[in-house]
Amino acid sequence: MAYTLRVRLESRLAVVLTPLLGACVLALALKAWWPVELAGIMLAVGLAFDLTLYHKLLPYQPGWVALPLGLLELAAVMGLARLLNVGATLAVALAFYGGAWLLAQVLGHAVFPLTRLSYGDDGGELGRAGAGVAATALVVLAAAGAVAWATQPPVVRLAAGVHEGPLTLDYSQKLVGEPGAVVRGGIVVTADDVTVRDVTVIGGEHGIQVELAERVLLERVTIRGATLDGINVRRGQVTIRDCSISMLGNEYGQGIDISFTADLAPSVVEDCELIGGQEGIFLDSVHAMARENLVRRTTLRGITVTEMSMAEVEENTVEDVVGIGIYCSDYSMCDIRENSIRGVLPDRASSDSMREGYGIVSHYWAHVEVEDNNISRSPYEMGEFAEAYITHD
Amino acid sequence: MSNVCAIVGGGLAGFVGYAALRKGGLEPAEIAVFGTDPDPAAAWRVRAAAIRQRRMRSESDGHCAPTSFPGLAVRAALRRRSLVPLAESVCDRFHPTVEEFLDHLEHLRTKTSWDESFRLGRIKHVRAVEGGFELDEHGSFPHVLLAPGHPGLAFPAELAGDPRAVHAYEPHEYADEVEVVGAGMAAATEWLNAIAAGSSVVSVRRREPERRPLNLPRELFTRRGLAAYHDLPPDERVLFLRRHSAPSYPPGRWWDEPLERARRDGRFRVAPAVNGAGQIICATGFKRGFRSDALLRKLVAEHGLDTVDGWIVLTPDSTVPALTDAERTLALAGAPAQWSYPAADTLMGAKYASRRLLRKVHAWRTR
Repeated sequence: MAYTLRVRLESRLAVVLTPLLGACVLALALKAWWPVELAGIMLAVGLAFDLTLYHKLLPYQPGWVALPLGLLELAAVMGLARLLNVGATLAVALAFYGGAWLLAQVLGHAVFPLTRLSYGDDGGELGRAGAGVAATALVVLAAAGAVAWATQPPVVRLAAGVHEGPLTLDYSQKLVGEPGAVVRGGIVVTADDVTVRDVTVIGGEHGIQVELAERVLLERVTIRGATLDGINVRRGQVTIRDCSISMLGNEYGQGIDISFTADLAPSVVEDCELIGGQEGIFLDSVHAMARENLVRRTTLRGITVTEMSMAEVEENTVEDVVGIGIYCSDYSMCDIRENSIRGVLPDRASSDSMREGYGIVSHYWAHVEVEDNNISRSPYEMGEFAEAYITHD
Repeated sequence: MSNVCAIVGGGLAGFVGYAALRKGGLEPAEIAVFGTDPDPAAAWRVRAAAIRQRRMRSESDGHCAPTSFPGLAVRAALRRRSLVPLAESVCDRFHPTVEEFLDHLEHLRTKTSWDESFRLGRIKHVRAVEGGFELDEHGSFPHVLLAPGHPGLAFPAELAGDPRAVHAYEPHEYADEVEVVGAGMAAATEWLNAIAAGSSVVSVRRREPERRPLNLPRELFTRRGLAAYHDLPPDERVLFLRRHSAPSYPPGRWWDEPLERARRDGRFRVAPAVNGAGQIICATGFKRGFRSDALLRKLVAEHGLDTVDGWIVLTPDSTVPALTDAERTLALAGAPAQWSYPAADTLMGAKYASRRLLRKVHAWRTR
């Protein structure tokens, strides 16, 4: 088909209407805006490519070209979604995009030509109906955007300087610290849809405590001197990203402890640096993903997944820890892939054979799948204990 | 209701127009089709058989149905229970067989009740009257689609009366030595036919043919290319049409390999003029221009219609501007409609004209 520019823009809007409506329904069901954000990015990428590339480069477009163009747009959409921190999982985003693409093909090749006699010789134009549908798509997108904007939690700015805590965040909000903003004595989150960003927390029992709260985002937080855990999550669902937690000198605390959230949406810990404490990341009875973190100098284990958890532990670096690098225990199921584990020291004070310096341990009916982990400077690479097992992909 | 629309010409262009009008809600009783043979493919069938055409140059949407979907590739996929036609179609490689095309045409002929509207007879005179057009003694119609077809086969003047000469579109066999005049699709088909029949072939041509899948660049089939075409002033439009009427046939091994083999064997060569072969096949297409068609010539003369060179001036929607208003429509389809649509002599061209006629009819009905 030799599409006109009007057709490209109009049909782009027309075919996105159904996915957009679906995204709105999904957003309502999930109480999250990422489906609409994703649909918006898809539309923006498509329109931008139509205007800048396709119309100029493709005076005629054979049917098969839809496939490489679809892949090109997919790459751009996924890249932008990642850049803008759209909170969709990869599989869901791919499914959403794939479904929308397929629908567009069916509409463009079958439904539109059937409903409009001159579809072909009009270069794919849909007449007044097309303009109407396109306008409707824009209205839906604008309305969804307006609702999303209007329902955004308020942004609370934390000025530079020291603020005495503990701060309790008991309603939905974005707490954003200005450079130099410090909270002494900890932060407690008890409301859903809370974001804490660019804040340093010093002291407190827990640096940040999340209780019974979902869709909590802790981003670029720095935690020092907590007496128990750096971040402690109970019955909550969190995304922790780009954090820095020092537990040096803390004998019993964990850098991050997420527990008892198995019935909630998965929590994510990524791109964090954790040093010191008993364990860097402790996941107990959860669905979670820990990826691309750096865990160092812990005294019990680097990363622990236990008590019927399901977790993906990927691309982390664990080094200079005592006893065990990554530990999966108690009926948990762990995917442990592409981690770098080095310098696991045997625990001389323990008579426990598991603690003789293993990179990865599967314990007590746990099932671990491993792939492409790099374990060095450790007495043992992997060990299975108490009816647990490890499989290699 | 009756006498809403008349179609002058019962060939493929007329049939495509009829199917579009039927799809648009007109009943058979509201349409009168005037032609010389109730089989809309009668003339085309003879020509296709003469050049032993097996596949269409057109692709999946080269059919007579009013909507482009489902095309012939979808139908072939269903019939053959294979995805291959669809895969070929998305790569612009699907060319239906002549048999598939004709089967679909027959199916459509029955489905649209073509024969109920068909009236045997050649219209010789179209005269504008109040609110419509009078067609010979058949009464007046507010909307008329003229689809008279090609006005006749074109022979090079120097071969007129030469007993060795036969037109490619007339039934013929192949002599041992054949000269094929022309370089378009029919000529290329005849080269292969004659070679396959064991003949030695001389391709007589003054210029090299272009190689393109369809007889015009693809963008000229849709609004994208047409918008620029319609913006051309008359003299440039004439140049454009002349330039794009250069002979062409599709690229591909299917054409090139037999020719190359024959060339190596000394059985195929190119020459600038005929030179004594026992048989001369004139693959020189059709006569051009409204003056070659008695009906159009009279229409232009009686109504003082604007013309440029051999073309009747039409609006972009294929209607005659001086004879079309809210009360009546005179539209052209097929080769005479090139002023509006350069590929007017294709099925796509016939659809283009008839879909726009249908809009006029709908507007007339709801005015």
